[in-house]
Amino acid sequence: MKRSLFGRLWPNVTAVVLFIGFVFPVYWMFSTAFKPTGDIISENPVWFPTDVTFEHFERAIGVDHFWTYVTNSLIVTLCAVGLALVVALAGSFALARMRFKGRRGFVIGFMVAQMAPWEVMIIAMYMIVRDASMLNSLVPLTVFYMMMILPFTILTLRGFVAAVPRELEEAAMVDGCSRAQAFRKVILPLLAPGLMSTSLFGFITAWNEFPLVLVLNKEAEAQTLPLWLSSFQTAFGNDWGATMAASSLFAVPILILFVFLQRKAVSGLTAGAVKG
Amino acid sequence: MTVQTERPPSGPVDVTKRDESGLAGPRPRAAFRAGGLTPYLLLLPACAATVLLLGWPLVKDVLLSFQNLNMAQLIQHVTEWNGVDNYKEVLTGEDFWRVTLRSILFTAVNVALIMVAGALVGLLLARLGKRMRVLLLVGLVLAWAMPVVAATTVYQWLFAQRFGVVNWVLDKLGWHSMADYSWTSSQMSTFFVVTVLIVWMSIPFVAINLYAATTTIPSELYEAAALDGAGNWKSFTTVTLPFLRPFLYATTFLEIIWVFKAFVQVFTINGGGPDRLTEILPVYAYIEGVGNQHYGMGAAIAVLTILILLGLTAYYLRIVLKQEEDEL
Amino acid sequence: MGGGGVGIPEEGGVKRKLISAIGVAGMMISLAACGGDNGDGGDKAGADGYAGQTLTVWVMDGSSPDQWQKDVAAAFEKKTKAKVKFEVQQWNGIQQKLTTALSEENPPDVFEIGNTQTPAYAKTGGLADLADLKNEIGGEWTASLNESSIFEGKQYAAPWYFANRVVLYNKKVWAEAGIKDTPKTRDEFYADLKQIGEKTDAEPIYLPGQNWYHFVGLTIGEGVQLVKEENGKYVSNLADPKVAAAMETYKKFQALSKAPKDKDEATPQQGEVFGKGNVGAFIGMGWEAGIAIKANPKIEKEIGYFTIPGATADKPEGVFLGGSNLAVAAGSQKQDLAKEFLRIALSDQYEGELAKLNGVIPNKEALQTNLKGNAVAEAAAPAAAGGGTTPLIPEWAAVENAPNPVKTYMTAVLNGKSPAEAAAQVEDEFNKRLAQQQ
Repeated sequence: MKRSLFGRLWPNVTAVVLFIGFVFPVYWMFSTAFKPTGDIISENPVWFPTDVTFEHFERAIGVDHFWTYVTNSLIVTLCAVGLALVVALAGSFALARMRFKGRRGFVIGFMVAQMAPWEVMIIAMYMIVRDASMLNSLVPLTVFYMMMILPFTILTLRGFVAAVPRELEEAAMVDGCSRAQAFRKVILPLLAPGLMSTSLFGFITAWNEFPLVLVLNKEAEAQTLPLWLSSFQTAFGNDWGATMAASSLFAVPILILFVFLQRKAVSGLTAGAVKG
Repeated sequence: MTVQTERPPSGPVDVTKRDESGLAGPRPRAAFRAGGLTPYLLLLPACAATVLLLGWPLVKDVLLSFQNLNMAQLIQHVTEWNGVDNYKEVLTGEDFWRVTLRSILFTAVNVALIMVAGALVGLLLARLGKRMRVLLLVGLVLAWAMPVVAATTVYQWLFAQRFGVVNWVLDKLGWHSMADYSWTSSQMSTFFVVTVLIVWMSIPFVAINLYAATTTIPSELYEAAALDGAGNWKSFTTVTLPFLRPFLYATTFLEIIWVFKAFVQVFTINGGGPDRLTEILPVYAYIEGVGNQHYGMGAAIAVLTILILLGLTAYYLRIVLKQEEDEL
Repeated sequence: MGGGGVGIPEEGGVKRKLISAIGVAGMMISLAACGGDNGDGGDKAGADGYAGQTLTVWVMDGSSPDQWQKDVAAAFEKKTKAKVKFEVQQWNGIQQKLTTALSEENPPDVFEIGNTQTPAYAKTGGLADLADLKNEIGGEWTASLNESSIFEGKQYAAPWYFANRVVLYNKKVWAEAGIKDTPKTRDEFYADLKQIGEKTDAEPIYLPGQNWYHFVGLTIGEGVQLVKEENGKYVSNLADPKVAAAMETYKKFQALSKAPKDKDEATPQQGEVFGKGNVGAFIGMGWEAGIAIKANPKIEKEIGYFTIPGATADKPEGVFLGGSNLAVAAGSQKQDLAKEFLRIALSDQYEGELAKLNGVIPNKEALQTNLKGNAVAEAAAPAAAGGGTTPLIPEWAAVENAPNPVKTYMTAVLNGKSPAEAAAQVEDEFNKRLAQQQ
């Protein structure tokens, strides 16, 4: 198929423009974080940091309890994602592979659950946790975050489970595996990409959450990174170097996770989202 | 991350169906009926979690919405029922309706932008050569991976009144009045920043998924269309679009939910200001309830917010309901 | 509920029984624990004191210097064997945090609370009655400073420190502009700032659009309140022409600043901005110099202070008499220990130290000697006499919740609306908050 020069050119030009549009904010965050203050607050933007400094990062990390926040964030996020995956896997298997009365109701139920606007229910959640004497603890955070990502995880995994050819499972069962064994030995490995791409979503959600932790945990020992980032921003509102350094630090784990899981996740996407 | 469509997202629906009809009847059926309780047991943890962690706060919230709950009552743990007073006050005031209308418009504009732009970028991905595609994918994935709290901070910096790079560029492009422009000073400019941010963060999800979906369209369909003399546009409307329809429905549903609930973006960029003119429903509920320490009122607004969201997505939920029925 | 509180003249047992009969829970706890104590310091916790316990104290960002915290903690530990943990809070969002905290099992035992916010919290029942403490140590508290702590005749907090805003200026920048003397009138002040703008690269003044405490000061200078009483209800008084006049003054000075019109003085901290060295002046609390110095130690020797000049040389500008009280949470399990802390923190020694370190007005006139030679205090003092506050009514606290309609009003005027239009724009919201059910 022959196309005119213009016909071949414009998609590429558009792609480059789009690439710049999507990458620039991320780039600007990192580059600001490494620039000396004089280059940040300058009448003409300095597009490339020539004289790299780490002082903003030192300032961002130097905040009291920084490492506590990091640890808490990691614990809460990983536990929430792990729990959600386990719970969701069981549920999604039933929804994708079994026929039973009320299945439709469950599916709709999870879809509705996915809509829950958590931010508006915060005071109700706060009162429940308070009356259960569980404030300033990571446990309520973990289970609530688990719940925030559970519906999406179930519904998405259901797609992935359904995409695993049923014949494989049946073949395994014919070979004498029990249903559970068939699941573990056949389906689970095939689900790995699906699990990864789903957990990515969960990780992002839990990593970002702050309205709830703001109300539940007043003690620094039980707070998480988003609070650090937002309080940092209030206190150092116009110190963009430090603020961007903090944002970079906050974004890096997610970016790494994406890079790490990207190939699997994207191929998982293709497999899970559409292929039969 | 993928999209759950209303059926197991196995592109051609018949794959699943073929499985069942294709295999000799009774045996698999027997296998699947084994242990009538199994599916319920498997769903038990998820359901228990949902009831406990979502249902309970929801019920609590509904209860609070019938109470006069302010600083004193909260501090002293006093329950003061006041019937439907909160609802009466909310529903008879202008504010709520104004915010509701604004929320719906805000959601509509953003979702429309996201879906159109996302679909276009997705189709562009399908058209690009390998190298350019990888480049654009990298860009999309980076934007996608930005945590929302970090992203809102970065956007504040991009659009900062002083030394913000956006103002600098606009100034250099000849728009000199923008040199020291405060983006948070008016309703429309605040919404503009929020919209750019939300669209920027949301396009990658739509585009990448849509691209993935197009790769699975069997090429025979296009060949058949070409034989019928269909041009580019025709084959797009007769092959691509129908094939992607379930996917588009599902994505639109998700985007509606996500945009409608875009609390963090709106709240962080300008706190619902200036003059409360950019509050959308979740922000309004939060400011009236938690911010203004009028907790019962906040709970009532929360309940109404949930009902409105259900209303907005009812159409899609009905489709799903029918679809699942067909499959049984 | 009238009896009790401030009207308790002596510490007799009869009176105490009377109060406990009123039956406020927090009060009962506090009184029961005061059993046979004669108010001589209350070392009744046994030989071990309160060993092993930790008292949590919330103080606001910047209000008490590290040195003071260290000294008080040491004295407290020495006397009680218990530890004290200071937790620094931000003003932004403090009410939301405090309200939930007071409802919890383990609220902060002692906390700093703004004078304008005290009446609302007193009304919630979240603050313990401090009548006996007032009797014991509060005899000399300056009555006008103690006013905000009294609600319906009872003592719900203890006055801690008071301060009004001054002009903090960068001597180097002023010298560069060729200005020899600090201004004595508003017009001189304006002319000086203009001169800085013309002769130097510096921003003449950093004045964000929502430094509403300064604006309240200007209205006090005009002799007008933001709120008026109408048929027994409080309503907005923003439409008053005197409020408009105050706002015009604000606007005139704000026009010299590049600071954002829709941010307050804490986002970003104006001390931080000033600390960078390229700002001629800002209007703030004396202790905000500390923020500047922390950001840039070299700035220390350049900082000077002067009274905010008024319309005429004989009368300084009106100022908001900001202040903080210390309160004890009614739900605290450590009522005795909390009072021990107050006895120490508010003792002449440490109250005096705070006044000296921060240049703030102490709660007793006798302690004002600590302010001798303190540049901040000397700049602040002339205006203090003409200072005032927002109305000390429980309805007020809701106005301060974000988005504060007074701030909205200010930004609207700065962005070009006429004061009357802006007043009309925010009036509904303002009145709604004043009328908010409690």
